[in-house]
Amino acid sequence: MWTEIVKEIADFPTSILTGVDAAGYPFSIRCKPNPDSDAQVLRVELPKYFELQPCPAGLLCHRHDDLLDHQKSFLVRGRLEQDSQGWLFRPFKFIPGPGIGGVMAMINLLLTGRRNAKQYLEKRHLPRPVIAWDTVHAMWAEIHSKDQ
Amino acid sequence: MTAVLNLPCEVESVFREFRTCEMTTLSKDGTPITWPIEPLYQPEKGRFFSTTSIGMAQKAHNLRHNPKISLLFSTPTGSGLVDPPAVLVQGDAQVSEEIFTSYTGELAEFGRCAFSRVPTGELYSSNPVMRFLFDWFFMRLIIYIIPRRVLWWDHADFNLKPHEMEICHVD
Repeated sequence: MWTEIVKEIADFPTSILTGVDAAGYPFSIRCKPNPDSDAQVLRVELPKYFELQPCPAGLLCHRHDDLLDHQKSFLVRGRLEQDSQGWLFRPFKFIPGPGIGGVMAMINLLLTGRRNAKQYLEKRHLPRPVIAWDTVHAMWAEIHSKDQ
Repeated sequence: MTAVLNLPCEVESVFREFRTCEMTTLSKDGTPITWPIEPLYQPEKGRFFSTTSIGMAQKAHNLRHNPKISLLFSTPTGSGLVDPPAVLVQGDAQVSEEIFTSYTGELAEFGRCAFSRVPTGELYSSNPVMRFLFDWFFMRLIIYIIPRRVLWWDHADFNLKPHEMEICHVD
């Protein structure tokens, strides 16, 4: 996991670090994590106003182009901690998103989505709903008419 | 209860023009889970609209367990804005129980906004094979995000202390 994090995080100028504030709400900022390979943690400099206690935390890197194509993202679950050198993010789990893992990851996304939807419906004893494709096509027709 | 949003123009421009924001929900063990989403700003209703497929419903599960949520607008790519602020919205979410499969009303409003910015999205409904493989993608839960607090950083500089606004709510 550590090797993967170091490799992928180098592909992004900044990351989104999220912790939880005193009221229990998520609080995110952008920052530049620096890998500390000896300790296998990411060192972060946090602004002084950032009122966080050590807490469960997440780190997201993502990007897309102007048309939301060529997406790449990943999430790391972990914990925000402090030591003698300052704040650090201790990673627990690397979760790849779009743009990582190639064709196999896309196939896996398709299969996982189908399986999750089936389980969601079964758990609630619901029949598989039929999509109103005519409304989807009408929406696209309206989008195309505005493009012209 | 409706949130009254009297926000500066530059903040509202971010809500309208940014293609994505980074949405955080809290998992059962309290870990923040952040993924990019495409939100729809509904200022007249004092909220944001979002949606997720039942095939990717983890964020909905998280929000039903803990409705506290945040949206960080920090990725200006495609927005056309020059030197926009970064904006963080903290609030509470409501998730529909109903599964929506018809793109009418608010879901159509969202779709027209979101899909017009993602031309490749039409692929998923383009032919019978794709409609069979991806029908789950069109089974949608609706998520409303009611802002409680908005913070913004001029020039998206997170080293600066952010501006902050508590949001009023009226019945």
